[in-house]
Amino acid sequence: MNQIVRNLVRRKLRSFLTISGIVIGIVALTTMGALANNFNALLDGGAKYYAGYVPVGDASSNGVTSGAVLPLAKAAEIQAVPGVARVFPTITVAAKPGDLQVVSLGLPDYISSYDPAENAYSALKTTFASGRALDPSAAGEIVLGSSIATEFNKKVGDSITLPVKPADANPGFLQHSYTVVGILDKTLTAPDTGAFVSLGDAQQLFKDQLPVALQTNLDISLYAAGFDVYGTPGTNLDTLADRINAQVSGVKAQKPSKLVAALVAGGALFTEITMAAALLALVIGGLAVINTMIMAVSERVREIGLKKAIGATTKAVMGEFLLESSFIGLIGGVVGFGLGFAVTTLINATMPPSQGAIFLVTPGLALLCIGFALGLGTVAGIIPAFRASRMDPVAALRSN
Amino acid sequence: MIEIDQLSKHYKQGKTVVRALDEVSFNIESGEFLAIVGRSGSGKTTMLDSLGLLLRPTSGRIVIDGMETSTLKDDQKARLRGSKIGFIFQEYNLLPTLTAFENVMLPLRYAAKPKGDGEWARALLEEVGLEDRMHHRPDQLSGGQQQRVAIARSLVNRPSVVLGDEPTGAVDTETSAQLAAIMRRMNRQHQVTFVLVTHDLDLAAETDRVIKLKDGKVVSDETTAPAGVAA
Repeated sequence: MNQIVRNLVRRKLRSFLTISGIVIGIVALTTMGALANNFNALLDGGAKYYAGYVPVGDASSNGVTSGAVLPLAKAAEIQAVPGVARVFPTITVAAKPGDLQVVSLGLPDYISSYDPAENAYSALKTTFASGRALDPSAAGEIVLGSSIATEFNKKVGDSITLPVKPADANPGFLQHSYTVVGILDKTLTAPDTGAFVSLGDAQQLFKDQLPVALQTNLDISLYAAGFDVYGTPGTNLDTLADRINAQVSGVKAQKPSKLVAALVAGGALFTEITMAAALLALVIGGLAVINTMIMAVSERVREIGLKKAIGATTKAVMGEFLLESSFIGLIGGVVGFGLGFAVTTLINATMPPSQGAIFLVTPGLALLCIGFALGLGTVAGIIPAFRASRMDPVAALRSN
Repeated sequence: MIEIDQLSKHYKQGKTVVRALDEVSFNIESGEFLAIVGRSGSGKTTMLDSLGLLLRPTSGRIVIDGMETSTLKDDQKARLRGSKIGFIFQEYNLLPTLTAFENVMLPLRYAAKPKGDGEWARALLEEVGLEDRMHHRPDQLSGGQQQRVAIARSLVNRPSVVLGDEPTGAVDTETSAQLAAIMRRMNRQHQVTFVLVTHDLDLAAETDRVIKLKDGKVVSDETTAPAGVAA
């Protein structure tokens, strides 16, 4: 090891440039991987959530994003379908209406109705960092997700006024004040940017957004935007969705498997794109290592000849060069990951609270980055090491 | 003991076959201090490379301490070199990144069963007069000092034979005499056979036996003193 370090120091600039090539690649792999991790955590949470229930909307919807509203009476019809355990009416509105978010790596802030009883059925369990659950019959209470609580700097007992009034809001724009009764633990997915109120409060928020003409003629307490339908234990939820569609008119029940597949596909594509970009950078680093090691072999022909003369076997010579190239990869990996970690931490810290963290560095990513750099160094060293090990000792000893 | 039997090494140069060694036979007894001399192209370097198992002969046999070497594979030869043969080169061939002590220790790294250790390496460096230069790198040593490191390196794994390829070829006359004296002392002290290929007649005169090659054949083989007994 001592000799490897001295060999690298012997050609300081070349070693620095070669290691820099790996470092740049690993920084790219770390940042892109952390970006993909964060996005996938969001999607994984979504997939876990959507796999556990059947979303039902009106017949013109896809079951998830609302079309028109549904009468609450439909809940009883759905509840009567065999295999249904519980039906929860839902209404979701934007927390920042009019806020344009064309490209986002997270979900926009939202306000949603929530019945604490749903947590017992949901596959994505939420827990409280502080405070308590909503009283579904009480008005004016709100539970905040971790990101939205940070964004608005709220704690239990504070009051919060929502939705956020846009700068160009109409004079009649309505806001409501709520008392924060609970703040959820971080989930890395949808609940983090959500604010949860009782169904009655959510219905009022929904009504506030309707045109004035509709507001006066509509008893919003009779309507919901959709339903979350949970099956009895052992019930196939895709089959349950088919049954709901067949037995309940005017609704669209979405198969959970379709939603999960869409989320998984989206995550895979994102991962592929980000990782491909990082791998491209790494290939360039790998070529630099190959070049360096080939030059090292060319420079050390006599050394190789000497080592073979004094007893080094083919395997020993090959091992030494592979160890050296692996060491270059390892240094590049450790330094690159360290820099990448610093960059992602810095960017996360400077992100606006509404966006939240966009990078997620995990121990798995650290192992991947450092392991990949080590492997890259080793693989890049194979050809030069093979050349060195096959060298004719007589010719090598007498080379200039 | 080394037995060289009908050893030939032929090279092709275009359509011509060069007989670098042509059915050479002689024995080297344990503890001998001998020189192989001859003009350029006589085959002496080929002889040394063959004795060092660095070259595969065209025909013939080399038997080292009873082991027939012509059938050995490359890695078997490497291991045999590591355990039984030491090398001294004209250009020293020390690794520039290692200290004198580390250079001496180098053969032990590759030996399957090292017969020396750090203490032995230190003792050898003291024997060649470099006790105060152990931690100097080659670029901090003179040519003569570098060759003394190479002599110590050649002996660190307690070989049967040390092969010297023009070991005094890159130093001045005074240093050459010092190196010859050191090698002679090592030969006697450690009962190690020294085979020196040289142009240096002064060095050859210090040996017990001189084998002269010409056109790949032994033309004379003169013993000037019994092995290990010469002055």
